[in-house]
Amino acid sequence: MSKAPSRLRWALLAVPLVGAVELAGQRWTTHRAPSFDGWAEIEAPVRAIKQAGDLVVIAPEWADPMARRALGDELMPLRDVARPDETRYAHAIEVSILGESAPELRGWREESRRELGKFLIRRLANPAPRRVIYDFVDHARPGEADVRGTVPPMECVWNSRAPILAGGLGGHPTFPPERFECPAGVFFNVGVTVIADEEFRPRRCLWSHPLARGELVTRFHDVPLGQVIRGHGGLYWMVERERRGAPVTLTVRVDGDTVGAFTHRDGEGWKGFEMPLGAHAGQRAREVELAVTSSNHKDRHFCFEADTR
Amino acid sequence: MSAISDRARGRITDAVIALGLFFGYVATLLRGVQDLGYARDEGFYFQASSSYARWFDLLLQDRKAALVPQTVDAFWNANPEHPGLIKGLFALSNLFLQKKLHLFAMEGTSYRFPAMVLGGLAIVLVYLWGAEARGRVAGLFAALFLALMPRFFFQAHLACFDVPIVTMWTLTAYAYWKSLRAPSLLWPVLTGVAFGLALDTKHNAWFLPLVVVAHIVGREVIHQLEARIRGVGDPAFGPSRLRSLTALGAMALFGPMVFVLLWPHLWHDTLARFRWYASFHLNHEYYNMEFLGKNYWSPPMPRAYAWVMTATTVPGITLLLFFVGLGVRARARLLSPLATALSTRSAALARWAAELPVPRFDPGSTDLLWLLGLVVNYAAWTLTKTPIFGGTKHWMTAYPFLALFAGCGFAAVVRAIRRELLRHRRRFTWALAAGRSALPVTALAGAAVIAAPAAETLHAHPWGLSAYTPLAGGAPGAATLGLNRSFWGYTTGAILPELNREVPKRGSVYVHDTAGPSWDMLATDGRLRRDIRGVWSVAGADYALYHHEKHMRGQEFQAWVAYGTVRPAIIGGLDGVPVILVYKARH
Repeated sequence: MSKAPSRLRWALLAVPLVGAVELAGQRWTTHRAPSFDGWAEIEAPVRAIKQAGDLVVIAPEWADPMARRALGDELMPLRDVARPDETRYAHAIEVSILGESAPELRGWREESRRELGKFLIRRLANPAPRRVIYDFVDHARPGEADVRGTVPPMECVWNSRAPILAGGLGGHPTFPPERFECPAGVFFNVGVTVIADEEFRPRRCLWSHPLARGELVTRFHDVPLGQVIRGHGGLYWMVERERRGAPVTLTVRVDGDTVGAFTHRDGEGWKGFEMPLGAHAGQRAREVELAVTSSNHKDRHFCFEADTR
Repeated sequence: MSAISDRARGRITDAVIALGLFFGYVATLLRGVQDLGYARDEGFYFQASSSYARWFDLLLQDRKAALVPQTVDAFWNANPEHPGLIKGLFALSNLFLQKKLHLFAMEGTSYRFPAMVLGGLAIVLVYLWGAEARGRVAGLFAALFLALMPRFFFQAHLACFDVPIVTMWTLTAYAYWKSLRAPSLLWPVLTGVAFGLALDTKHNAWFLPLVVVAHIVGREVIHQLEARIRGVGDPAFGPSRLRSLTALGAMALFGPMVFVLLWPHLWHDTLARFRWYASFHLNHEYYNMEFLGKNYWSPPMPRAYAWVMTATTVPGITLLLFFVGLGVRARARLLSPLATALSTRSAALARWAAELPVPRFDPGSTDLLWLLGLVVNYAAWTLTKTPIFGGTKHWMTAYPFLALFAGCGFAAVVRAIRRELLRHRRRFTWALAAGRSALPVTALAGAAVIAAPAAETLHAHPWGLSAYTPLAGGAPGAATLGLNRSFWGYTTGAILPELNREVPKRGSVYVHDTAGPSWDMLATDGRLRRDIRGVWSVAGADYALYHHEKHMRGQEFQAWVAYGTVRPAIIGGLDGVPVILVYKARH
């Protein structure tokens, strides 16, 4: 009988087994995530524990479309899906698969958990929620707000049946059917849209393309104020990533007093701001003006969101 | 007499296996083609090929008129970004096999057919080369390992150049290798012609002279080293050196000739047009590509891209056998010379060196050539300025060489198993029977190593670009890692039954990344209802497609705002991972 095989020969003998292990791995990986229709399972349990104001978050993020299809706009509305951040939510329902968890909910306290087949559904509490008193994006409509340009003076008229305009492949975000339209051209309007930020996450915001000259002013009437005006601004990332455009400035005025100015430069992405309200804090403002300007308005697809809290 | 008949029997066996591989592969590709939508670039090639087909038609009717320079330009100036050979084949296939013979159920298949045939030929070439160089088992499994790479299988369906260039690249390398082994002018000439065909297929061909020059230099260096170690060089080296230089000369002579001859666009204003073509690729714009969660769209590109993508898309067992093959060949080729070189250091080393088998002179320097075929094809992706937008197809020309080493690895595994079985022949009589013949061991071990690649490849269809191996956790694991799920907008083909069912009569669909001609071809095929209109904006469309790519998410958001919903009506994808979403308008 010849000598026993070396370690190397043993390794060679084991190679076909590796093939069999890979086959088992292939079978496992093809079945480990829920099927698209399998997501229907979460609708009843999520509905049962979701309370008004709760945020629904899916982990991993790529599974979001199946949850949106299963839960619909009622449980996952646009304003939550394209939220500015999570600070305003007191609670979140996290639906996770494959052992993943949402990084944005790290540090939130678990209140309940339920395993349901391939799903784990948890209700989480925000350790430090901040109550929003007034969301400017929600109130950008006639009666509560108006829009004007300053140079030359122009009124931007509300159109509740405006033609929807979308840029298509490589084009601008959608201009919604309800928006304030300025006479300077179709890009110069104020309406609620969604832009992609630097990570291509959705951000619901007020489209406010600066005018060639002067300010584009969105004025809100009779606004209950908190301690600060806080928000974010950015441009559709595909535009600002080129870093070729002029900075855009958002100036905030409360009853004529400038409480702060926020300047966004290309490449900064979805950037936050917070402006203390000083003597106006806790008061009711007659008007709050959010004025957008840029030294060069070319391709300034600026969009912002703001609230007072 | 017996030796001659053995050789003849061997040739017949090789021919039968090669034909089986070819027809089996092309038939499998044809069988799956109806599930596969048209990639963005295919649409542009359909347009260009239609133009070339009209020229071929004119050439048949009025040769003189067809050859007038203005006429040539009128038809052949379409799509000058890529050479004319493969698009010309698409055109001829459509003109003769479809328009005249009505061979295919779908018009689009006639354009795709030449690439499928070339895909089958790539498999055959790998088999023949592997069998000739390293034995039939190595050749057969090398061919299967290439055929059963999910990304290669996906690309082999398309009316594109990525699989054709794999074939032409391998053909040129094979012809060059044959040139070194046979004292005939035929193979050097064929090397030159094959290089011309490769040049006329895709610009990856520009790497071929690098491989050949590196091979010539490399074998010279190795020859000198071996001569120094052993005190004498192999006398057969001289003639093979001359043949290698002849082949290189033939490439320089015939390559450009064939290139220009088969691309009518270059018949006039040749230098300026070639300069434009070269400049287009040397200064190619950077498209977007997601890698490990980050969207890359400008340099620096990640150096790990090619390695990670290869590791996560080529079946693990194929990669393992590649390393086994590489190790086995390195051992066979390098161990003895290295031991001999070190033998002066100690008596033990000298004894060991004397026991080692001396590698036979290989006029083709096969291992070096295969290694260079790999290294040169990957080299560009070690640079941070090289674009990565095309994913694995960029370096797919390396895969035949990877498969050839994997075939060697498998042959080594079979040898090891047989040796082990024969070692136990006294204890187990069946072991003797099994160990004596290569067939049972090859079949059983072969089934074990081929099952996973086959399962991965067939399961991936028609989501080829979404498929990742278990090493990445499959499609779900890759999505979590942030690896690209698809590009080119071809996945429209996978949700056609739903569109045909749901879209209202004379309704419209925003086609997103599907190119217009690709969309139109779906209707021409009869796969998409002819009354459904493809449109270029979500506004006013009844349905909107969204082909997921990280940098294209803005397209999905356009649909959300236009339709007032974030709820997709239809989701298509692989293993629970969404790749294409369809939104329905609320009007």
